[in-house]
Amino acid sequence: MNDTPLEDQVHDALHRTADPLQRSPLTVSDVRTRARRVQRRRTITAGAAVAAVLAIAVPVGISLTGPPQRSDVQPATQPPAPVITGTVRIDPRGAPTSDTLSVPLLDVDTPSLIADGEVTELPETYWQLTPYLEGWMGVVNNEGAYSWRQLDADFQVLSKAATASRLTVSADGSRIAWAEHDNTGWYVSDVAADGSREERRTPLPGPIEAKVDVVGFASDTEVVVTQTDPADGALTTLRVDGSSATPVPGFVVPWTASSATGVVAGVTRVQDDLSSCSAVIDAQTRTGTPAWSTCDYTLAAFSPDGRYVVGLASYLDPNGSPTLAVLDAATGEAIVDYELIGPRNSVVGIYERVAWEDADTLVVTMASGDRQYVVRLGLDGTVERIIAPGTELEPDRRSLGLAAD
Amino acid sequence: MTTTLVNMGSQTEHADMSATRRADKDSDFSAYMAARQPALYRTAYLLVGDHAGAEDLLQNAFAKLYLSWDRIRDREALDGYVRRIMVNEHNSLWRRAWKRREHSADAVPDTGIQDTYDDGMGGVLWSFIQTLPPKQRSVVVLRYYEQLSEAEIADVLGISVGTVKSQASRALAGLRARAPRSLNPHESGDER
Repeated sequence: MNDTPLEDQVHDALHRTADPLQRSPLTVSDVRTRARRVQRRRTITAGAAVAAVLAIAVPVGISLTGPPQRSDVQPATQPPAPVITGTVRIDPRGAPTSDTLSVPLLDVDTPSLIADGEVTELPETYWQLTPYLEGWMGVVNNEGAYSWRQLDADFQVLSKAATASRLTVSADGSRIAWAEHDNTGWYVSDVAADGSREERRTPLPGPIEAKVDVVGFASDTEVVVTQTDPADGALTTLRVDGSSATPVPGFVVPWTASSATGVVAGVTRVQDDLSSCSAVIDAQTRTGTPAWSTCDYTLAAFSPDGRYVVGLASYLDPNGSPTLAVLDAATGEAIVDYELIGPRNSVVGIYERVAWEDADTLVVTMASGDRQYVVRLGLDGTVERIIAPGTELEPDRRSLGLAAD
Repeated sequence: MTTTLVNMGSQTEHADMSATRRADKDSDFSAYMAARQPALYRTAYLLVGDHAGAEDLLQNAFAKLYLSWDRIRDREALDGYVRRIMVNEHNSLWRRAWKRREHSADAVPDTGIQDTYDDGMGGVLWSFIQTLPPKQRSVVVLRYYEQLSEAEIADVLGISVGTVKSQASRALAGLRARAPRSLNPHESGDER
């Protein structure tokens, strides 16, 4: 069917609705009042008259000082991002601070949800939580066994599944997918967070005893999952599209996928010293041939536009990674290298669950000494310690994680 | 003593310059608001669908623009900056989730103020547009009201051109599925 007439009708309907409106309800005073509120929420760094500001180049190897330099939205006349050469050191103790955070967190001890400048107590400890329909979708982690709960706006349980995988949430939060099984076998569910389309279910091959996990969205309609055979522990990567599941060869363990570019990144080889090699592979591949590979990094998370991918250390221990790099997702070239520094003789590590706050800003949680910190990393080399409500833990508490990743 | 006088003079001069700059900024910003508020309000209204929400969204966008004012040299780009803030805030699922929580206890439906004229057909289509998911609705408003190109919409929303196309296509398919036969030009012998 030809769309043009309907497009014209939409155009006309919008203009009929909006054109008669001649409203100017706001005064400059109203705007200044709101600006002060925005400013207070953005940062409390002493003396910082914070505006939406341009990225700044940071001298190599110098700990960052001064007011935080970021905005929710980049100014319209933003110049090209400066090139960072060398390593940016992350020292959360001395970094500039910011009291805003657009990446929601969960505190599994309290338990509570930390989002939009508020801390909300939860009736149960959730491993993941994301907006769904008029409420939420949450995942409970019971010693590695996941189950989901659909919740209303006040976190009361509406329905639940006994055995499921974790959730994967699209970069804009609009789509959610998970795997669960009924009496007949496993299937992958893929839903719109606002309920705007029917739930799509893709049955998976293999026994009900298999372990299934979700990796991420590889396109608007495809989800990448893994299935581990209980008999021999072999892991298979699958791309599901609403009707069938197709193997994606090449991975020992896939870690992340990009719906913007249709690629998957993950570990392709484990070496004798237990370090690993990783690669980026097209989700449509039949051969598993990588676009590029590296033995220097473990690839963790694509940026929302698929342009970058996070590289953690090639060997990850339970403390996380002492380094983080942002790589060009098309070539593997390092754009920025960060190194975490902390008190002498202390454990430092960036946790492997990292989130992109926007196209050029990352949020990570990390341990340094006896504390856990939440830190924002900009591709321009900026580093900010987040001090939003609920994000500053007492010593020896390490209970913060991303709400959805 | 002399040094003190010099310093005082310097500080006073600095304060005067700051006050002048602030006055200039407020004057420029005020002129921009006066000129552009009605148009940007219309966009906010189309995104949100009610006046209270549109006012809140626009106030937030203006506030962020005010804070960024000195750094935006290209005055031609101001509308784009405000639009970008509005659509991204409107599309934030977390923001809407919190709004729902705020309203869940004492929800009073916004009956809205009908201050638009309607010949029937446009009103029906507008009512369907309001049921679109936020991102699809943003694409529809930016494409068919603001007349932005797909590349410009992709830039505003921070998504790929392909996703803009798929969102627009789904929005139109959704509208076509919901709209009555009278809105289907192939059924009604559209005269346009």
